[in-house]
Amino acid sequence: MIEIKLVVNEKPYNLNVEPSERLIDALRNRLGLLGTKEGCGEGECGACTIIMDGKTVNSCLVLAAQANGSVLTTIEGVGNRRSPHPVQKAFVEVGAVQCGFCTPGMVLSAKNLLDKNSHPSESEIGVAMSGNLCRCTGYDKILRAVKIAAEEGKQ
Amino acid sequence: MKTSVVGSRVTREDAWGKVFGQTKFPADVNLPGQLYAVVIRSPHPHAKVLSINCDYALEMAGVVAVLSAKDVPHNAHGVLFRDQPVLAEYVRMVGDPVAVVGAETEEIAREAAKRVQVEYQVLPTVFDPEEAMKPDVLPLHPSLRPTNVLYHMPIRRGSMEEGWAKADVVIEKEYNTQHVDHAFLQPEAVLAHLDERGHLVVQTATQYAHYDRGEIAHALGLRFSQVQVKTLAVGGAFGGREDISLQVIAALMAWKTLRPVKMENTREESFYSHSKRHPMRMQYKTGATKDGKLVAMEAKIVGDSGAYASWSINVLRKAAVHATGPYVIPNVSIDSYAVFTNNPFTGAMRGFGAAQTVLAYESQMDLLAKEIGISPLEIRLRNIFKVGSTTATGQVLTSSVPLDQCLAKITPYLQRGGESE
Amino acid sequence: MKYFQPQSVEEALELAYTSEATFLAGGTDLVLHMRTGKVQPLGLIDLGKISVLREIKEIEGSLEIGSMATFAELGKSELVFRKAHALWQACQTMGSPQIRNQATIGGNLGNCSPAADGLPALLALGAEVCLSTKAGNEILPLESLLSRTPLLEQGTLIRGFRIPINGQKSGFAKLGRRKALAIARLSVAVSVEMNGSRIDNVRVALGAVGRRAFLSEALGQELSGQELNNELLEKGVLEVQRIVREALGTRASAPYKRVAVAGVFREALATIIPEGGK
Repeated sequence: MIEIKLVVNEKPYNLNVEPSERLIDALRNRLGLLGTKEGCGEGECGACTIIMDGKTVNSCLVLAAQANGSVLTTIEGVGNRRSPHPVQKAFVEVGAVQCGFCTPGMVLSAKNLLDKNSHPSESEIGVAMSGNLCRCTGYDKILRAVKIAAEEGKQ
Repeated sequence: MKTSVVGSRVTREDAWGKVFGQTKFPADVNLPGQLYAVVIRSPHPHAKVLSINCDYALEMAGVVAVLSAKDVPHNAHGVLFRDQPVLAEYVRMVGDPVAVVGAETEEIAREAAKRVQVEYQVLPTVFDPEEAMKPDVLPLHPSLRPTNVLYHMPIRRGSMEEGWAKADVVIEKEYNTQHVDHAFLQPEAVLAHLDERGHLVVQTATQYAHYDRGEIAHALGLRFSQVQVKTLAVGGAFGGREDISLQVIAALMAWKTLRPVKMENTREESFYSHSKRHPMRMQYKTGATKDGKLVAMEAKIVGDSGAYASWSINVLRKAAVHATGPYVIPNVSIDSYAVFTNNPFTGAMRGFGAAQTVLAYESQMDLLAKEIGISPLEIRLRNIFKVGSTTATGQVLTSSVPLDQCLAKITPYLQRGGESE
Repeated sequence: MKYFQPQSVEEALELAYTSEATFLAGGTDLVLHMRTGKVQPLGLIDLGKISVLREIKEIEGSLEIGSMATFAELGKSELVFRKAHALWQACQTMGSPQIRNQATIGGNLGNCSPAADGLPALLALGAEVCLSTKAGNEILPLESLLSRTPLLEQGTLIRGFRIPINGQKSGFAKLGRRKALAIARLSVAVSVEMNGSRIDNVRVALGAVGRRAFLSEALGQELSGQELNNELLEKGVLEVQRIVREALGTRASAPYKRVAVAGVFREALATIIPEGGK
């Protein structure tokens, strides 16, 4: 076991983790943050996307120990029913959610894009969302939701 | 009539839980003291299980139980026929489950699963459905069918002799489609436990909670009232969660160990444990007059059921019924077959048999149009179903056949050569 | 398994010398290989906290890239865009945004998949690799390293790459099954020096053709010192097809890749030739 320090959703944690333990497992099993989903376990689907030090990563491809000293945002740290993030609001309103398994990862990729670039072009939105798969065929609405969230942010 | 729902935009209430990551999928529920179970699957497509040695697995600290066919009271499940074992003694495809390990952690269960030694007698295999159909090939399910032909659906209409006599142009081609996986984004997961009344509670993502309950009760020899299946959020299904995957195995482990049991497929395990779309081999012969009227069609469709029946009969029936496409053809002969092989089993997937034949009949239309020298649009306009048309199965279409309107809408697009405005 | 997080290169080399542990770069390949059991390291030396290994800078006519620079950092670097265009391009299409944020150029070499996205570009650009062990440093051309088996001895750290800046122009093209998250089925990187309409010092490297990415010196020589026109382009196409045919032999992918490489080669060249040029 090794000790790591993390800040997750603005709360500091000291955790003991196994050297081979993946970040997704530490988040889900040790911190109970079950909003991060595992779809493929090999970095193809993006369901496990989180934001680490301002960048999106697949938490299934990062060891918990590698995140030592990092600041993380998971879906639990983004919005709530009383005050949803513009991306979350747009996803619901546009109907960009079907089965919902890809949704947390999608929301985090979109949020991180808008954090960096409040006026993304359509192609920038496309690239930012390209690491997240949806199997219910909702890309059109997902991209539209991100665009609407971006426009809302401009006002 | 105007309503507040039809024709207006409605917000999905379940979307809120999903955008906040609060929605519970089956991997997201846990119980204190739960075991983790991992399945040992056959690497062989056709084999008899001669012996299973669990000693090395049971020696590991934290391993609670290893179960196999002998532990299943009624070792069968399936949607049309109970032809699929819960834990196989006789393997018909790669990925058939032969044993399951229950342990205190997932890591221990996965390690222990590697230490279970299964001795197989490898048997001859058949992967080509047309080969498997031959009467001298040994049947995979002799108690169900004397040959590997699970199903044959013939459709006959009019007179083929007359039809071919009228045909100025005949196109004869073979079309093949492949296996497709649903690849729903959420891999199968189950949490099974005994509640305070001693009833089995199985939480999973399924398309048929009521049917799962019946299958679990049957396999374990319980009454329906002793089994409760709760459907949690379903992370995509597309037909791939119509058959049983881990439900009975998890329930069995919970029943035998009296502990809550959690199972989660990896993506790889998921590919092994649910059905696929039927590959179909479609031999088509279609005839038309020189002015583009369809007069005859013969089709032989062979669908690969793989190792188990699942919904193959219904799927190949649907393929047969849709084999002409939305076109009037007075003389038709269709033979559709579902055939057992040692390939992965095939079942329900979006379109349910209607999707594959599109490749064949629409390609035939394009080739006929080219041969006759008219546009692909024109040949369709001359043959489409309208109100009053009779289909190959003799159904008279009495209402709502707006195919002409649909084609009219896309005509400008087709006239631009398929370019968007 | 032990896990180390050294703060300096020296510390990392010392750990590698004493522990027989494996270097961990971004981990996007290694973490997967550990899960499948393909790699079973005795320990891990995480290089992620050594900031000096992340640097991208221009020094004395060379572009120096630290091994822990991520694909995202390289793909956003103005310097890489201007001085090592083929590499910059390769970084745009590798994996997905999430993978580019984590995966490093040094890890790309360490893992050395046949389809490694960064290697053809580095080869075409004439990159040298800087290796370090506790015993000392070694600098050698990437193509020389790629001919070694095993690629790296235990305890050898990939410190980074040095790309000469000599006005060369370069381009890259990749064939994948889709835009994002596609493992390269075929990739081509080209670098040239333009002297009027003549091209000199042509270097062509191929990826996903055989065991490791490689530089085709024969093709480079064939095309060097000649007028860049359609005739030369077609000659290059025939030659690159011959190379792929020889490299792949009877592999199942050979008939496809032999044809496809023509398009990928043309595309790679097109990315370096200014519009309207020949």
